Amino acid sequence: MTRSMENLSCRIELESFEGPLDLLLYLIKRDEIDIYEIPMAHVADQYCRYIRMAEELDLDIAGEYLVMAATLTRMKSRALLPRHGSAEEEADPGARLRRQLILYRTFREIAEEFRKNEEIWSEVYMSWGERERWSEDAGESIRKDRGCLMDLLKALNDLSREADEPPSQVIRRTTMTTGECISVLANRIPEDSKVDFWEVVGPEPVPEKVVSYFVTVLELVKRGWIKVQQRYPFSDIILERTERWSVDSR
Amino acid sequence: MILDRLAREIEALLFAAESPLSIDRLCGLTGSGEDSIHQALDRVDRAFKEQHHAIGVIEVAGGFRIATLRELGDVVSRLFEGRRPGKLSRAALETLAVVAYSQPCTRMTVESIRGVNCDSAVGTLLERELIRISGRMETPGRPLLYSTTDKFLEYFGLSSLDHLPRHEEIAELLSAGPSELEERDLFGNKGKTGP
Repeated sequence: MTRSMENLSCRIELESFEGPLDLLLYLIKRDEIDIYEIPMAHVADQYCRYIRMAEELDLDIAGEYLVMAATLTRMKSRALLPRHGSAEEEADPGARLRRQLILYRTFREIAEEFRKNEEIWSEVYMSWGERERWSEDAGESIRKDRGCLMDLLKALNDLSREADEPPSQVIRRTTMTTGECISVLANRIPEDSKVDFWEVVGPEPVPEKVVSYFVTVLELVKRGWIKVQQRYPFSDIILERTERWSVDSR
Repeated sequence: MILDRLAREIEALLFAAESPLSIDRLCGLTGSGEDSIHQALDRVDRAFKEQHHAIGVIEVAGGFRIATLRELGDVVSRLFEGRRPGKLSRAALETLAVVAYSQPCTRMTVESIRGVNCDSAVGTLLERELIRISGRMETPGRPLLYSTTDKFLEYFGLSSLDHLPRHEEIAELLSAGPSELEERDLFGNKGKTGP
């Protein structure tokens, strides 16, 4: 009974720890130990007791907890063994751990202070800023996420700092809509004969034009207004009207 | 209290701005000197207070903003119900604390101080734009470096990084870096126990 109660409390506690240092600090505080004079044997035993109980309860123990258990056990055995040879050989094994504990304890306190600030400032709403983001609908938040990813990619790109910057280029939006293109193509695809795609594009095959007309051709194929033939990859594309064009557009 | 032209200009600017406006910025925008800006900011805030307005002028993230009063947080939060991200977890807060004081720093730095894996905490903080990737460390593997953002300052109501709590004490604590300490251990000296 006592045992299971103890186990239960251990379980609750272990899950609330933010890692081995957190657990260690808890033990040190619970047993009122001076952080500068840590009795290694005692602390190692207490720590390992927790880990063992957690194992009994089949809790998933993160590797970090086990590493700390091993470190503590090693420090305990060193503390117990009589020292041979010169003192220089052995540094104060507690020094590093002590520093780690003090550093972690400090940041834990700061985190607590941050939490209080968060509490206070979450009740203050500023004009614009963050608020604007929450007030958008779900679709907008997806767009925002993409923005974040782009920011990251941009940062990464800046970091890799290639020797030569890629040439910059202004991409202008085409002013022609598919609808407009269709009416142009209506004049360029004759009613009763086949015509080559390039002929349709005209004398100045600038990229915008080629793309616009190609997209239009695809649209016309989708509508079933024209038939398209290409003998082999990259060869000429031959366009031909079908009857549907005149039927549908009538 | 009737506000003068400059104070009203500043009120309008703060209202319309999407991020905090610094004194410098306000000087540039209004064509007035630093001192008159400070005084005008004060007058704006005083006018709000005297007329028991629900908003006030606050100093945050290196500038000034108009913000609602805390006592009205309840009702305003209802406006954003369900859309507002939750409070940060302890893991995230601890990670953020380490980054804030040792920035720019790698994930390894955070992990060595916290003693646990910080992948997901770093991910959360990046997602919430409280930290950002600020570079790469020129060591093998070129690990990413993280720094806090202006949003971090706003989130915790800090006017600048110099206003982090216990700023100097922690800087001192961190300056005896772990590598330095390990070296000492190698040479058999006692580790540093205090400043």
